[in-house]
Amino acid sequence: MHNKYIVFLFLLLTLACNTEPQIESATTAALFTEKNSTASGLSFSNNLNPTSELNILEYLYYYNGGGVAVGDINSDGLEDVMLTANQGQDKLFLNQGDLKFTDITNQSGIKTNSDWSSGVSMDDVNGDGLLDIYVCKVAPISGEATHNELYINNGDATFTESAGQYGLDFSGYSTQASFFDYDRDGDLDMYLLNHSVHSVRSYGKISKRNELDELSGDRLYENRLNEAEAKFVDVSAEAGIYSSALGYGLCVITADINNDGWTDIYVGNDFHENDYVYLNNQGQSFKESMPGVLNHCSKFTMGVDITDMNNDGLQDIFTTDMLPYDEVVALKSGGEDTDQVFKIRSTFGFEDQYARNHLQLQMPDHQFSDIALMTNTYATDWSWSVLLQDFDNDTRNDIFITNGIVKRPNDLDYIKFVNTQNAGANERLTQAQLDAFLSKMPAQKLKNILFTQDDDLSFSELTNSTIGSPTFSNGAAYADFDKDGDLDLIVNNINAEATLLANSTKGNNYVSISLINANTAQTSKDAIVKVYTGELIKTQQYVTTRGYQSSSSHNLHFGLGDMTTIDSVVVIWPDRTKEVFKGLALNQLHEIKKGADTKPYVFSPQQAVAGSLEQLQIRHIENKFDDYNADKLIPELLSREGPAVVYEDFDQDGQKDLFFGGARYQEPRLFLRKAGEFVEQKGNLDFKKDAKYEDVDAAVIDFDKDGDLDLYVVSGGNDEKELNKQLEDRIYLNDGKGNLKRLPLSLPHTNGSSIAVADFDGDGFEDIFIGARSIPSSYGLSPYSFLLKNKGGFGVDIALKERLGLLTDSKWADIDGDQDIDLVFCGDWMNIGVLVNQGDGTFQLQSDELGLGQSAGLWNTIYLEDLNQDGQLDIIAGNAGANFKWKASPEKPVKLYVMDMDENGQTEPLIFYPYFSTYLPFTSMDELVSQVPSVRKQFVTYDAFSSVQDIKDFQQIKAESIVERKQIKELRSMVYLSENGKYEGKPLPFNAQLSTIQEFSINDEGNLLFVGNYHDYLTELGKNTANSGGMYKDFNAATGTFENYQQLPLPANLNTRGILPMGKDEYLISVNNDTQYILRMPK
Amino acid sequence: MKNKVIIFTLLLVSLFGCKTEKVNPNYQEDALQPEYIHRSMKSLTDVIVHDIFSPPVASRNYVYPSVAAYQVLIHQYPNYQSLEGQLDGLAGLPKPEKDKAYCYGLASVHAFLQTSKNFIFSEQKLIAFQDELLEAFKEIGIPQEVFDRSLAYGEAMSEAIVKWSSTDNYKETRSFPKYDVREDPERWTPTPPDYMDGIEPHWNTIRTLVLDSARQFVPLPPTAFSLEKDSRFYQETMEVYNAVSEAEPEHVEIAKFWDCNPFVSHVEGHIMFATKKISPGGHWMGITQIATKKANADFMETTAAYTLVAISLFDAFISCWDEKYRSNLTRPETVINQYVNQDWLPLLQTPPFPEHTSGHSVISAASSVALTNLFGDNFAFVDSTEVEYGLPARTFDSFYDAADEAAISRLYGGIHFRPAIEYGVDQGKKVGQYITENIKLKK
Repeated sequence: MHNKYIVFLFLLLTLACNTEPQIESATTAALFTEKNSTASGLSFSNNLNPTSELNILEYLYYYNGGGVAVGDINSDGLEDVMLTANQGQDKLFLNQGDLKFTDITNQSGIKTNSDWSSGVSMDDVNGDGLLDIYVCKVAPISGEATHNELYINNGDATFTESAGQYGLDFSGYSTQASFFDYDRDGDLDMYLLNHSVHSVRSYGKISKRNELDELSGDRLYENRLNEAEAKFVDVSAEAGIYSSALGYGLCVITADINNDGWTDIYVGNDFHENDYVYLNNQGQSFKESMPGVLNHCSKFTMGVDITDMNNDGLQDIFTTDMLPYDEVVALKSGGEDTDQVFKIRSTFGFEDQYARNHLQLQMPDHQFSDIALMTNTYATDWSWSVLLQDFDNDTRNDIFITNGIVKRPNDLDYIKFVNTQNAGANERLTQAQLDAFLSKMPAQKLKNILFTQDDDLSFSELTNSTIGSPTFSNGAAYADFDKDGDLDLIVNNINAEATLLANSTKGNNYVSISLINANTAQTSKDAIVKVYTGELIKTQQYVTTRGYQSSSSHNLHFGLGDMTTIDSVVVIWPDRTKEVFKGLALNQLHEIKKGADTKPYVFSPQQAVAGSLEQLQIRHIENKFDDYNADKLIPELLSREGPAVVYEDFDQDGQKDLFFGGARYQEPRLFLRKAGEFVEQKGNLDFKKDAKYEDVDAAVIDFDKDGDLDLYVVSGGNDEKELNKQLEDRIYLNDGKGNLKRLPLSLPHTNGSSIAVADFDGDGFEDIFIGARSIPSSYGLSPYSFLLKNKGGFGVDIALKERLGLLTDSKWADIDGDQDIDLVFCGDWMNIGVLVNQGDGTFQLQSDELGLGQSAGLWNTIYLEDLNQDGQLDIIAGNAGANFKWKASPEKPVKLYVMDMDENGQTEPLIFYPYFSTYLPFTSMDELVSQVPSVRKQFVTYDAFSSVQDIKDFQQIKAESIVERKQIKELRSMVYLSENGKYEGKPLPFNAQLSTIQEFSINDEGNLLFVGNYHDYLTELGKNTANSGGMYKDFNAATGTFENYQQLPLPANLNTRGILPMGKDEYLISVNNDTQYILRMPK
Repeated sequence: MKNKVIIFTLLLVSLFGCKTEKVNPNYQEDALQPEYIHRSMKSLTDVIVHDIFSPPVASRNYVYPSVAAYQVLIHQYPNYQSLEGQLDGLAGLPKPEKDKAYCYGLASVHAFLQTSKNFIFSEQKLIAFQDELLEAFKEIGIPQEVFDRSLAYGEAMSEAIVKWSSTDNYKETRSFPKYDVREDPERWTPTPPDYMDGIEPHWNTIRTLVLDSARQFVPLPPTAFSLEKDSRFYQETMEVYNAVSEAEPEHVEIAKFWDCNPFVSHVEGHIMFATKKISPGGHWMGITQIATKKANADFMETTAAYTLVAISLFDAFISCWDEKYRSNLTRPETVINQYVNQDWLPLLQTPPFPEHTSGHSVISAASSVALTNLFGDNFAFVDSTEVEYGLPARTFDSFYDAADEAAISRLYGGIHFRPAIEYGVDQGKKVGQYITENIKLKK
């Protein structure tokens, strides 16, 4: 009721506004105008009529739609269009200019059968200078003689089907072909993407990739038209291409992914098979390198495009998936696997995958970092095509996505309640049952999406980015059909006319380039073009098959914004010679023919990252405990802290030694440094006995004030109940020679996290602060943290025992400049706080007073340094980062409530996080119901649950039963600069937001180093892996920002925990459940 | 639509037709039609199927409503006695007021349905049935005062039973840790296609009703895991493998007949759909209905039979689950796919919990002991329970005959090794015998 009223008001307002002349805003909707077929002549509709023989149950990809191919087939300078149909006829349209098209299918020689067509491409397959057409077919569900079709251009806008003659008459489950010259011999080879249709009932092992599947396995064909065979030859096996039934290939692109001059292959696979990144080994073969190149990929990959998104000369990758952005659809749909299944899948050998779009940004070391979460491009619902081009000519590439699904089979109510029939198990359903199923499966028409890149890697908000009318859209292609200087789009829809989106961008400059090889029989595809203008270098590769089942323009289009001249255009020809063209005019299409003035082009090897890395033979081994089994509703695992490392001189020989505390059941170890080498000290019986503790932090302390360094080790682990013996901290006393013996002293029994040692009361004995991480199996409740006063080296007194929060880090420092030390600490779901020393042995907790009152985050670490040189320490703080599924601000915080919903003595943490225009509960209905079955009383269906946005929506939760309320208002890593005794927050730059920051270090030169990533969020949030570590060389005090970034030479995907200085320019990189590293930076 | 018309008519009747109360002198007799409890039980079964409960939880959904119905009805049948003191923790149940008239038939089914609502989710479905049933009782012509008093008594009994049920540790076990998956080859791991978590790993901490503990009848352990070709375990594995690969048609029929999987998901690419069936416990409640009807059991005998079978099922599941998560044995599908044939599929979908012992074997044996105790051995019957789920009826010579077939069906289905069946039947018989020896229904 309330909403309706608002809508009505809004309508009134809109009406009122309409009387004013409308000013075209820069929103994406304004870019494109839909032209109907009456205006355009593009009369084509991919109509589907499910029959008893052929429907979604018989063929799982029944609703995957058709494609679009673009190219100038009659050499009139206008790009023409082919559209494919599944159950109807493919159609070929001649471009008449002015966005008008004529259907020439019947006279063109294109077959007018209704065999199931899928992807389509236009390329000069036989090197005669004319574009030919290759149409993929799903043969097994079509007529008997069906095979993929190759239409050779006769030169008069007619074609002759010649697939058999060319050896390309494959008959199977084909999706798409991509033509490229993988061996750089001047002719076009073909990658044929096919898809599996077998049931994904069980995962099976990845060794099945090596088993050939005649109908479903992918193929690589080498062009040997000019050799003895005089046809295309299947070279899949020798080239290292998997041709198995594991591949559910829905999209393919051939592009030079790793910038070495050889064109590689990216295959997007549906379901549990991960995507393939085939890196080209100098034209000899391919190596599937996904695990080495990507940290994770889309799970239900449906579309892919590759181009340089940030004008750094490196190719970036976008893949589409099916995560809904609408909260109702999101909660009603099956999506991410449970953590258990995620783990099981990886035991079968499959790589990490998440059911969301990925925007994989290529880093200087040629590793990719997914930034879809950071850029909010990760959820565009059931998505097919993605095209990365500069649609508004502002120099930044945009993202166009088609979406919609005729039958949404992952609707949970449908799966669990609607479609269930009382049929015999494992039996085929009767036709009547099938039909009944179809009628009940929900449909999802959606508006296509255009994310405009409005600033560097910053895209328009999803809510402002929908275009056109709701459709079931699949294949799409771009071209400047009306030659007005911007890219138009044609989209193939199911059960609706194809959409022509006319682009009416004005005001920005552009240049378009069409490439012709010197010898026209040689292809110019795979060439790379760089346009230099001012500071800007724009790069594109001549690749046409992109998106989904489609191929786009053969002209390379570059938006130039307000740039007024083109300095030069560099073409790196397919033979990898380079030619420079100058004096090209703006705002036109240039035909560039390869000339004689070419020079060899050297592809720079992957950019060397400064510094070196030594892998130590010291491994941290986590004990097998998955927190989510005990605490089902948590967002992160709290049992994955550690290792605990200390680098100090224990044996007083003038060389620092390394203490390494492991996870539960791993003995603590002391490595004494002898002649520069680490030699493990053997035979410490106390260490042996204490293997049962999980060491999460440690620090040296001269506890008994005898002049040597004793050791305090903080025990943790989320697997034992609070006060359990196995959570007790320990002090080891040093005999002066580095022999550490445990002091029989009762110390805190908590899941600890952090230690900070200092003599806070000035009695000459060092005191200890112990921060605690959690109350095991009661996520969200604050455990006690302790300040332990050293009683003259004989014992400790509890000076302070407070529930400060879920602490992760603590540091002693004189924060207020009053000559006594205060304690700064941080943690999860809490502000950065300071226990201000009152000088009389008491402390006052401050946060808001210091300007830190809105800083509640998922903090991991703090580093104190006077960056702005005002005499007061500033705080650099590492958070979950901006590349995270949760978003938080003081206005829209992430909220946590803890209560015992069913009064069974066990608390439930319920989390609600902002999700596009509303809030989503973090837990799924299934997980919540498994812990609190009575919830199902209120939410009998998933549909009912899909309206839940807040704790108030649960009838059984009374406000007074909520025992804890916490929030997160900031997820970015920040620097808090002092300003007259108060702190002013400023987010760290882009690269420091890519991943969760674990620890900082500042060296003598003032360089800020950090290590990041965190693998131990639940699958719903995903492993955080986009940056293992980096360094900012400078701090700009005037702007308060860190500048001059470079990567650290760390392995990608490292689950780091800390960076500990070991000397000048030398650091210990501690890693959870992995080997440890020493990082050496250049002097 | 049709129902609405009926209800509307009934409303009209109750609004206008009943101005002057017509009392049926035989209302007591007319209210004691066993059909009422049969229909109520069926209605509960339907909701259990719809809402999807795992087999052990379903057994809990049956037992408390049955006991509620029983505890009301004994006041009509003085030769039956209360289960107070016989079932763990059951005491202090409300008693009818002396010298006041009750319609115990009405009160009994009302107690049953009121109690049922607490154990299922889709209350609306039960309420719709309850409304219909109450109208039917009104039609009988029970004096209004008796009618109201009976409902009140039914509700009081329901409340007491629900309160008793709340101390059985069910609620607490919801928060207990999930089953911990490890990579040991002999240890159970989740199975395709859903790779669901292990169901109810702490069911052995649920309060037993008659057994003195979940561990009272520990069966023989499974055969030691081994991949040696001549080992007993390997041979048992191949027996399952061959039972499916070279299945006889009759064995396929038997396996399917006893599938009783509450939720089977079918996966064909993006397309998922599920088929639902009664749980194995539900199947035996169905057999109880068939047996009581065939024996012409009266309301009390019928209710007593349901109650005894429900109690047997409940304790049998606890006993079985205790062993399942003690031995934590892997399923044939996992072993065969890993070491014998990656593409082998069992005939039935492997249920999501450890293999040993077979739930069907234990609970069928226990139920058959209870039913034999009530109706005698060699009680032949036609089991048509699964007809509405698309499976033809099967004929059995006795309850033991049916239980034995239910047990071996799991081997035919490719989801159990032989020891799980044989030791399971033995375990179930012991549970059943102990219950029949320790529960006295009649004075």
